[in-house]
Amino acid sequence: MSKKKTKVKVELTRRDVLKVAGAAFGSAIAAEFLTTGPLSPFSSLKQGQIENVPETGHGAATGEFHWGMVINLDACIGCEYCQRACCAVNDVNPEKPWNIVVTEKTSTGNTFYFTRPCLHCQNAPCVEVCPVGATYHRDDGLVVMDYDRCIGCRYCQVACPYDARSFNWKTYTEENPYVPTFGVPEVERRPRGVVEKCTFCIHRIDAGLKSGLMPGEDPEATPACVGICPVGARTFGNLKDPNSKISKILAENPTIRLREDLGAEPSVYYIPPKEGL
Amino acid sequence: MATLTETRKPMRISPGFLAWMALIGVLITIGLISAINVFWNGLAVTNMYNAVPWGLWITIDLSAIALGAGAFTLSAIVYLFGLKRFQPIVRLAVYVGFIGYSAALLTLVMDIGRPDRFWHPWVYWNIHSVLWEITWCITIYLTIMVMEFLPVITENKFFDRMPWTREVAHVLHKAAPFFALLGLGISLLHQSSLGATYGIVKSRPIWFKPSMPIMFILSAVAAGPALTITVATIVQWVTGKRLISQDILRTIARFSGFGLLAYGYIKFWDLAAVTYYGRMPSVSQALNTLNQQTPYNFAFWVGEVLVGIVIPAILFLTPRFNRNPALLALGGIMATIGIIINRWDTTVSGLFVPLSYSPGTQYVLPPGTYFPNLTEFGVGIGIIGYALLMITLGVKFLPLFSNGEHD
Repeated sequence: MSKKKTKVKVELTRRDVLKVAGAAFGSAIAAEFLTTGPLSPFSSLKQGQIENVPETGHGAATGEFHWGMVINLDACIGCEYCQRACCAVNDVNPEKPWNIVVTEKTSTGNTFYFTRPCLHCQNAPCVEVCPVGATYHRDDGLVVMDYDRCIGCRYCQVACPYDARSFNWKTYTEENPYVPTFGVPEVERRPRGVVEKCTFCIHRIDAGLKSGLMPGEDPEATPACVGICPVGARTFGNLKDPNSKISKILAENPTIRLREDLGAEPSVYYIPPKEGL
Repeated sequence: MATLTETRKPMRISPGFLAWMALIGVLITIGLISAINVFWNGLAVTNMYNAVPWGLWITIDLSAIALGAGAFTLSAIVYLFGLKRFQPIVRLAVYVGFIGYSAALLTLVMDIGRPDRFWHPWVYWNIHSVLWEITWCITIYLTIMVMEFLPVITENKFFDRMPWTREVAHVLHKAAPFFALLGLGISLLHQSSLGATYGIVKSRPIWFKPSMPIMFILSAVAAGPALTITVATIVQWVTGKRLISQDILRTIARFSGFGLLAYGYIKFWDLAAVTYYGRMPSVSQALNTLNQQTPYNFAFWVGEVLVGIVIPAILFLTPRFNRNPALLALGGIMATIGIIINRWDTTVSGLFVPLSYSPGTQYVLPPGTYFPNLTEFGVGIGIIGYALLMITLGVKFLPLFSNGEHD
């Protein structure tokens, strides 16, 4: 019994162990290359974190336009009209609105109101992770959803740093409480089983440009939340045009973006309250 | 017909076997009822919601795939590294791997919101997505396992009438080293990418770290073969036949034991780096939240470390214990449980910690809460029923334990 065993052991230790070690080493090299090389899923992420320059994302707007938004936290009064108009125009279930409005406090304890649409990141984590490319960058900087392609895996929802995505757990069949007071639906309801999010009212932008209107200037071509704001806290427009209203506001005011450390390069800028955050 | 019945060995159906099949039938029925509920009413019938969109089913996917890692590990050992004496267990390993991967795909189809579009990843590519790569690898690897396994199926008497199947099988058998190589590459890729699925999500402090893919693949390579030897041991008990020499099982257990130690080593340094040396405020805060809201610490230390690593490693590596088949099986079961707890902890804990993106100081999302409901458990039970059915049928009808050198 014991003789047999030692024999087997000797056979194992010579050639085979070397073979195993060699192959393990080779695999390790291959794995190393695949996780750090250009094929790696981490590569874009590193780039975004190292060069923190605006519009370097792989989804950076390459066209004539880069649609963006400035939200003035100092002006916002927390009336939630943006949220309601959004729910009405895009026929969104108000239980999980695309626009959120929350009461916030600065570090000194003063109240301000914080609103958040989809930030349309130029390095959007959701676009990176989608296994079917159902969410993608357009050349005008928008991050859009293809509801016909989405398989409902919800990885984008998990990956979005700003909680801007919601999943249709069931078909939204209830009556929309904000219709018609805050607007009428301009797009279809999304089917059960897909992820949805704010589109910057893409249907208005595309239709407006076709009929010669300028989004950000003509209300018919501008997102619903911008037009309805009673205090003008939201400005929408082309970030690439130095003469657009939004570019002037950005030039004249101190602005921040949410979680710059993540390198997602959002297209939504915030003017902080006057006293600071 | 008459000749067919004569040539077939009379099948012995014992009351115990009948009871076993009845149990499997009940499990699968529960699974089917739950599945119909999900397909009919949508994912709203689960306890998942927007803050915790992944839950029990993703845990099942990850665990089943990790536990199927015995297939590529043992195939590589036999066909690439040429350690032929492990050949008797390769068929079983590949079969268990096949069950694991097919179970994962079944659960995935349940879990996606649009099961009718399950084929989209093959048509619409996003090569930047780890999940896309995983879907591709899993399907390719499933095909490889079928190719590896077809020769075994053709050995069944049923194929006596179709001699050409044997010729195809012979060619496939000759290509086994090629399949093993391809399987090794693809498995190394997707087993670690499953960890990367979490590791690349930069907004989630609990997940975002480079050790994720490494821990996933090490744990899979360690626990996969452990499950294989456990299945082998249990099958030997049930059938009362000595099918694989204890020496082989013990050697694989030792391999698995060293694998667990390597996994534990990386886990230790990961823990040290995350909670001690490289303590980031967001991570500390996240861990605090988890410890206050959930039994995270207990699950980690007792479930993942003690049950999943320390005890099985001792059972697999100490000569006194690893000579005892019962203790080997126990170690394999514990390592399996450890993997499942780890995948659960990874998935759910990362989602429990709320995102933080507000510029102010007050608005913090509430921590997530999630526990699977009956429908989700029902699907899980159905998947277990499927796995047990496949094992039973395989043991009954397929030559899982011969070495394949008959021709």
